[in-house]
Amino acid sequence: MKIVVCLHAPRGRGDAPPPALGTDDAHALGLALAFGAPHTVTALLAGPPTDAAPLERALAAGAARAVRLVGEDFGSADFHTLGQALGTAIKRLGGTLVLTGARSDDDGLGAVAASIARHVNALHVACIEELTPAGEDAVEITVRGGGRRRRLRVPLPAVLSVVASGPGAPDLPTLESRGEGPLPTIEILSLVDPEATVVRRRTELLGQPELPQRTTEEATTAEALVTALAR
Amino acid sequence: MTQGARGVRDLHVTRSPGPRVRSGEAAGASVASRIVEAPLPNLLVLIDLRDGVPTEPSLFALSEARRVAHDAGVTVFAVLMCDPRPEAEIERVAARLGVAGADKVLLFERVGLDAPALDATHGALLHLAAERVPPLLVLFPAGGAGLQLGPPLAVRLGAAFAAAADLEVSDSPVPLVDSVGRLCLRRWRRDLSAYRRLDPVELERPVIAVLGAHGHARDAGTPDVEIEVMETPAAGPARIIELESTVDEHAGVALASVLVVLGPTVGADVAAKLAAAAPPDVAVVDLARVPPAALVVSTPRAILAVEAAANVAAPSPRTRLGLALAPTTDASALGRTDVVWRAAAWDELVATLPRLSKGAQPEQREQDEQGEQGKQDKKDKKDKKDKKDDTP
Repeated sequence: MKIVVCLHAPRGRGDAPPPALGTDDAHALGLALAFGAPHTVTALLAGPPTDAAPLERALAAGAARAVRLVGEDFGSADFHTLGQALGTAIKRLGGTLVLTGARSDDDGLGAVAASIARHVNALHVACIEELTPAGEDAVEITVRGGGRRRRLRVPLPAVLSVVASGPGAPDLPTLESRGEGPLPTIEILSLVDPEATVVRRRTELLGQPELPQRTTEEATTAEALVTALAR
Repeated sequence: MTQGARGVRDLHVTRSPGPRVRSGEAAGASVASRIVEAPLPNLLVLIDLRDGVPTEPSLFALSEARRVAHDAGVTVFAVLMCDPRPEAEIERVAARLGVAGADKVLLFERVGLDAPALDATHGALLHLAAERVPPLLVLFPAGGAGLQLGPPLAVRLGAAFAAAADLEVSDSPVPLVDSVGRLCLRRWRRDLSAYRRLDPVELERPVIAVLGAHGHARDAGTPDVEIEVMETPAAGPARIIELESTVDEHAGVALASVLVVLGPTVGADVAAKLAAAAPPDVAVVDLARVPPAALVVSTPRAILAVEAAANVAAPSPRTRLGLALAPTTDASALGRTDVVWRAAAWDELVATLPRLSKGAQPEQREQDEQGEQGKQDKKDKKDKKDKKDDTP
């Protein structure tokens, strides 16, 4: 099974440097790597060289390949555009199982996976928590919804978004634990072809920015706290 | 005319007391008689049924739609997908949806639709509804199928998507043709640094959004609601197979209108007292134990974080964020908040917690209702005045 894990460079909060991988992305990568041989894992990211840290981390953790998609400025692209670009890349790479982090895009919309699924003509399930192989042509997943927690068998090809199954980042292998000599280099994939001409930024779909007019008040009693929250 | 305005030119549905209309009939000659000159925007609300009863956030979403419907001139459609049921039961559910705010119910009945929604099983039917009644907005209730069905529908329609949003009547000076008002949705950016405003008319395409669990339905509608039975294609061969299904013990988190999250330094005794004091619509969760999958679909009216950051779930702009901290805890690392309280003793919070329930805020509820009534009166007065001015 060829697994493609789509990664996104997390943004830092405040003065703290961003982690190499977002929490949901790290869980997606961890689930993919847990498949083991003979399944292969390719990490894919759309963005500039400065956003390549997640790919380096994926290689260190055990991904067979890391591919950076170059072309448009994907930084502020909407999910339709990003999904189309990643879908085009996945068709070239030949993945049958595609994983993304559920809230990995900058605005945490979780819609990129659905867009990829449409472009690669695959089934889509959002916010899965667990994943195991079920032969060569299917996987078993765990997903919540409608008041139930269900284990489902999903045929491939499929695009699944992964939500972290615990509060912290998973324990991914490090470069030291990999111990297999030099890491593969990050491959570059360009979408400069006629198919890519329809890829364009539609940032307006993300909505017009507005600054919130909110201040923080200090409550002196629990009663005042509750009153402020009920306002 | 914008594409958005074109896309919403569809049906004017006259309410009738409870009849079921087959979509085949509606699509034929009878529909022609319902088409009116003015473009009336359609607003679809997907209903989340649990044990045959609409969830509170579903009714709230309908009542939000009804709240803006008068000002914005939208027609509110409740979309119901379920296993075949006796007619009386469907009519009972439809009447409840009507009271919450639906003008009309679009009903899809097929064996298997009671199962939790997935794009593979429910997505095509929702798309069918959107083709039948081209929407300006499609709303999903909190705790429902919004994250499963919303993004795929947005992709199919080329629409915008917001995962935790508030519905508002736009203050844009440019109304739709025939003075129909404008709607917009507002959501946070992920880091809560700014809002994003989504106006379907400006975007020239529909907006798909998940609303929060912000309280009870206002019940401003009527039980006399028309049910249109949609032609539901037979299910194809099952591609996704259910191997196991158990009750999700954390399902209440997404449906709660107040979320109290407890950080790792909160003692077990305090956690137990808070949980015991919490009314039914207030969920108390230990951050170390609650799965993130339960939190990503939680958009409550208020989040109170006790010794933790408040932006752990999926707040909408209307969600009030509060911190309850020990005197020595540094608040600056815990992100945006609306109110901070330094607790000398947690028992004070335990005693006050029941007041977080919407039901325990009669003054607030009264204000909400008076606000709505005031708006309605104002609108009625304006309509009367316009009518008078038009009279030769």
